Amino acid sequence: MSGQYIAFFVLALIALGGGIFMLNLNKVVHMVVALVFTFVSIAGIYVLLSAEFVAAVQVLIYSGAITIIMLFGIMLTRHQDDGQSTGSPLRKAFALLGTVAFGAVMYIGIRTLDFGSEAVGLHDKNTEQIGIAIYSKYVIPFELASVLLLVALIGAVILAKKDDKEAGE
Amino acid sequence: MNVYVNSYVVVFVFLCLGILLPIVALTAGRFLRPHAPNAAKQTTYESGLDPFHDSRVQFNVRYYIFALLFVIFDVETVFLYPWAVAFEKLGAFALIEMLIFVVMLLIGLVYAWKKKVLKWM
Repeated sequence: MSGQYIAFFVLALIALGGGIFMLNLNKVVHMVVALVFTFVSIAGIYVLLSAEFVAAVQVLIYSGAITIIMLFGIMLTRHQDDGQSTGSPLRKAFALLGTVAFGAVMYIGIRTLDFGSEAVGLHDKNTEQIGIAIYSKYVIPFELASVLLLVALIGAVILAKKDDKEAGE
Repeated sequence: MNVYVNSYVVVFVFLCLGILLPIVALTAGRFLRPHAPNAAKQTTYESGLDPFHDSRVQFNVRYYIFALLFVIFDVETVFLYPWAVAFEKLGAFALIEMLIFVVMLLIGLVYAWKKKVLKWM
């Protein structure tokens, strides 16, 4: 039982707990807060994996930007109604079956997964290592990411403008 | 590796202090302050006006596009950090790569500008 093991256990527990609370809470804003707990604890797990830069990005993008966009999404919709439990017992049974099947498949899939030898020295100048890897080895995926962002931007503009016009009419 | 993990112990201590500070302060305040509520005190303070309507109104779609733009340029900024840190070892080619990347997003920004998304009202 090392300190890292305990830290991982606590963080994993918070991450899972956040997910479970998100599914079970009734108010949408509370759900977002539960989701933030999951995001932040996943950032902690990245820190344990010596991926400091990814951890910072996780906090910046997920618990920052993605949460903001979800809150905006909530503000744009009608959100006074509390959640109601829907579904018959049959549907719940199917959901349980699906969950168990998914768990079994994932367990079989990752049980014998081999990551190769563990990389050493990842924590040493982490951001610089990532920078060198992206901008010398993975240039094409990086430029494709810019195309993806451009598509997302233009798509968002088109969708929002269309909604705007419909609202104006 | 040990140095790395031990440096995060300090982060953990700060995290605990950050969580404990509001808990202790609010709990102490709860025990110290008098508790005598009435209806006038419990209304929402709105610069002296009587509050009306529900506070959770539906917002205009217009705000959403600003949130989306924020997320997209946030992601762009994230790519700038490792580039800036590793720039000395990468040289001029990385500069061209980043220029292509930024110009690509600039096209999107110009498009949004032309479509008058950035205009307020």
